[in-house]
Amino acid sequence: MKSVIAGLHRLEREVLPLLQKYSGFEDVVRNSGMQAVEVMRALQWLRGKALVEVKEKLVEVVELDKNGRVYREKGLPEKRFLHAASLKPLSLSQLIKTTGLSADEANVSIGLLKRKALIGMINGRELVFEITEKGKSELKSGFSEQALLRECPLELGRLSEKQKEAVQNLSIRKSIIKKSVKRSVAAFLTKKGKRIAASSELKEKVVDRLTSEMLKSGSWKQANLRGYELRAPVPRIFFGKKQPYRRFLEEVRAKFVALGFKEMNGPVVESEFWDMDALFMPQDHSARDIHAAYYVKEPKYATDLPKELVAKVKHAHEKGVAGSKGWRYDFDVKKTARLILRTHDTSISPRTLSSKELEIPGKYFHIVRCFRYDVIDATHNADFDQIGGFVVGDGLNLRHLFGLLRMFAEEFCETDKIKVVPSYFPFTEPSAALYAKHPEIGWIELAGSGIFRPEMMKPLGVDKPVIAWGIGLGRVAMFKLGLKDIRQLYSHDLEYLRNEKVL
Amino acid sequence: MPAISFSYKDFQDLLGKKLPVSEFGELLTLYAKGEVDGYDKKTGEVKVDFDDTNLPYLWSVEGLARLFRGVFKTHLGIPELKINRGNYRIVVDPSVKKVRPFISSFVFKGKPITGYFLKQLIQLQEKLDESYGRKRKKVSIGLYSYKRINFPIHYTTKAPDEIKFVPLEFSKALTPAEILEQHPKGREYGGILKGVNRYPILIDNKKNVLSLPPIINSNFTGKVETGDTDLLFEVTGTDEKAIYLATNIFAQALYDRGYKIYSVNIDYGSKKVRTPYIFNEKIRINRDQIKQLTGLDIKTSDVKQLLMKAGYEFKNYVVSIPPYRADILHQFDIIEDIAIMYGFDNIESAPLESYTIGSATEMNRFADKAREIAIGLGFQEILSPILSNKVVMEEKMETFGTGLVEIENIMSDTFSVIRSWLTPVMMEVLSKNKHRDFPQRVFEQGLVNIRKGNRIVGMEVLALAISHTKTDFTEIKQCLDAVMGSFGVNYSLEASDLKAFIDGRGAKIKAYGKEIGIIGEISPKVLVNWELEMPVSVLEIDLTEIKNIIS
Repeated sequence: MKSVIAGLHRLEREVLPLLQKYSGFEDVVRNSGMQAVEVMRALQWLRGKALVEVKEKLVEVVELDKNGRVYREKGLPEKRFLHAASLKPLSLSQLIKTTGLSADEANVSIGLLKRKALIGMINGRELVFEITEKGKSELKSGFSEQALLRECPLELGRLSEKQKEAVQNLSIRKSIIKKSVKRSVAAFLTKKGKRIAASSELKEKVVDRLTSEMLKSGSWKQANLRGYELRAPVPRIFFGKKQPYRRFLEEVRAKFVALGFKEMNGPVVESEFWDMDALFMPQDHSARDIHAAYYVKEPKYATDLPKELVAKVKHAHEKGVAGSKGWRYDFDVKKTARLILRTHDTSISPRTLSSKELEIPGKYFHIVRCFRYDVIDATHNADFDQIGGFVVGDGLNLRHLFGLLRMFAEEFCETDKIKVVPSYFPFTEPSAALYAKHPEIGWIELAGSGIFRPEMMKPLGVDKPVIAWGIGLGRVAMFKLGLKDIRQLYSHDLEYLRNEKVL
Repeated sequence: MPAISFSYKDFQDLLGKKLPVSEFGELLTLYAKGEVDGYDKKTGEVKVDFDDTNLPYLWSVEGLARLFRGVFKTHLGIPELKINRGNYRIVVDPSVKKVRPFISSFVFKGKPITGYFLKQLIQLQEKLDESYGRKRKKVSIGLYSYKRINFPIHYTTKAPDEIKFVPLEFSKALTPAEILEQHPKGREYGGILKGVNRYPILIDNKKNVLSLPPIINSNFTGKVETGDTDLLFEVTGTDEKAIYLATNIFAQALYDRGYKIYSVNIDYGSKKVRTPYIFNEKIRINRDQIKQLTGLDIKTSDVKQLLMKAGYEFKNYVVSIPPYRADILHQFDIIEDIAIMYGFDNIESAPLESYTIGSATEMNRFADKAREIAIGLGFQEILSPILSNKVVMEEKMETFGTGLVEIENIMSDTFSVIRSWLTPVMMEVLSKNKHRDFPQRVFEQGLVNIRKGNRIVGMEVLALAISHTKTDFTEIKQCLDAVMGSFGVNYSLEASDLKAFIDGRGAKIKAYGKEIGIIGEISPKVLVNWELEMPVSVLEIDLTEIKNIIS
């Protein structure tokens, strides 16, 4: 018993003794000086500790209506009238002025008060109202109708004679009280509850919070720190959190770094040169159809293209290099400078390959936002992230490319069940696609890859084989994040973001 | 991606062999860079999707069956294509040079065209026109009923209103100009002839118009019907090699089906070409190259066998290319076919052996630190599309001239610019979460782009926004102190006249003489624009610039 008492909250300590006398919820609230929510919380906790049994039933109650709520605060018009008249006899106009009543309310008040003989009238030059003795005692006893308004809501079946009369009087007036059916809560002490409610220990002073002062003064030694209801729910807090999809991408990045890949980047607004032409994609060819681009309105053309390299690429397209016949058409140097939003991550590769910083052997990757002129729906975003890169080194060939794909399947899909099939990219030859059997999603197309074409590498000045690859983790991400609609990757729903598991 | 459909029974007949559809699907991925997209058991129709946009010869049931005859070794090497010398002539007027300079043609005869086969022909025609032919601009094919044509045909040009003929699907005669305006095909493809003052016309010797290439055939000669036995094929275009290739693809497909092909003499005046024009291309490859690219050491006799399966001829490492292929630019294109026929399944993978050190970009590592601070401050991270729109970026923010990079060919108004700052995105987030619990603290780290004259500058930025009943400048400045203190950057504030902020409660953040961000309390006008009912304070800093300052 002692430990139970020690763990009682201040609210519980206050409510328990009251339950010896009252059981109705409203009664407890009224006599506790506490707020209804506090009493309700205390009752719930006490029920949890089996000290109290809570019963609910439907009862007919009388409660305040629209005007009743106003009159509870301001006082009933007749009471205000009577009160004013009690100070000194006053004329109607004077009474209206001092009480602030409307003419209507004043007239109703006169009728009511006269009927009950609470006021009298003195006839003079002007009609003057005066309080009667009965009126004085009524005012002194608190004015039964006004008391009722204060006590509402009240259970209809438990009204006193006086209350019944007041209800009758008020119910014929406009929108002061109304009757309705309510859920009524009643609480009863259990056997154990009764013992504790009667216990003297309950009255002992307990301390809720350990304070700095107590520690400094040493008063903590005497203090009786109460135990807590440890299982009680607490208010929610909102904490700083990473965006789930960004965390996923971050983990992918960390994995590539761990595998020895170096990250590269490039601009979002790109020229057709780096996005396509430098990849030996002919300017007017069906191979370019999949790269439907967004074009920039202004400025339209890049001004910083490397002139020498553009000339070499132009030559490769028109006449061919490295033993190639070339595409045999007139390369448009204006078109090559046209600014677009990059259509794929591979736009970054020729920048890196032609840079002085290129390391051979080297492994490179990039995770970047790309854009396609496409209808936006559950499977297409205007923005999407692409993950890709290349591996450059002496003697790399198709077998190494297969080895790389096998590694991707193991690292990103945790599987060695793979299928590598021929594929097509305008800038690689040969090209291969990787299908991997994800343990939970099943077969997915995980990666595309190939060996960059010699016509592309020659102008860039790289004479070692380069394996290009791109990895599609969209489905893996969606699966991991439990999403059905790709647009949710960029969700702005705070509730979703706040609740999303950190896994 | 090109896609075709055909009768699977027809495919098996052409292949000369029964093959379960499931197996066909497997082989398709292994040899044709395609996949089965559907098989209707009731109609027996199969749908195939292709990855490769550069192998138009496969976009017909005949082409696919031909490839598979190689795979199953029922035919090796370049397939036969016998072309009979025809006594037909197309006279080309020099005026076409400016519009659509090249034409190629042949006549085919044999058996009556069935409804199914006509559909197949039209399907191949459409795939070649649309995908390979750049929506008819580069290549556009026409088929005609031969019996109504009087040779020679003239390929010439006419003024827009010079002649009249009844186009397909119409009953009244129209001038070329009228066709471009009134006929659905005219409206669809008319753009190709934009800005031209004379239109290309094919007209026969009796002045019957065959067609207005690349728009529409005439209803008289250009209507092919079931039961026709003799037809004329014609293709016009801007790329000579491409139209010959389209001719050869068609001729081979028809020959495979048992039609007799008759050549047509194209008379350019100065030059005469007999079409179909067989390229007879040869490329020399060598064993080292094969090993270098594939890592495989294949015997010469095997190389020969593999290449013949793929439809090539091979003699002493000189490879002859079939006339229906124009995708071979380099030895590697042939070597890929060797690897495919060898079977990707049979190629053993090898590990990458080079030792390299991995690293993330400096910018990303720095951005991650900024994110870490924001999260430490209790902010929820947001990730948004980089594309946005003017209403979000400027109008609702009461802030104009932010340097928006606009998109010319927008797909939707929602995504019509690149975001120029992140604060509006934070406002958008808050406006979507009015009914969620407060306080709300959100941040995003990401890329913005700003147009500065002729240049477009990309920057990584960090934006923080706070919304609750009592948020104010002090609270957001505490955050700024935390961020800048963490980076060890001393900053100063200078009053800003940015309309997004309450007057006197918005500032520019400066460090080392450079403007590196903004901070302030959002103005009530802007809050109302976003339908927000709670105060908001924000800060946005340029991480690219701060990183420069630090290093």
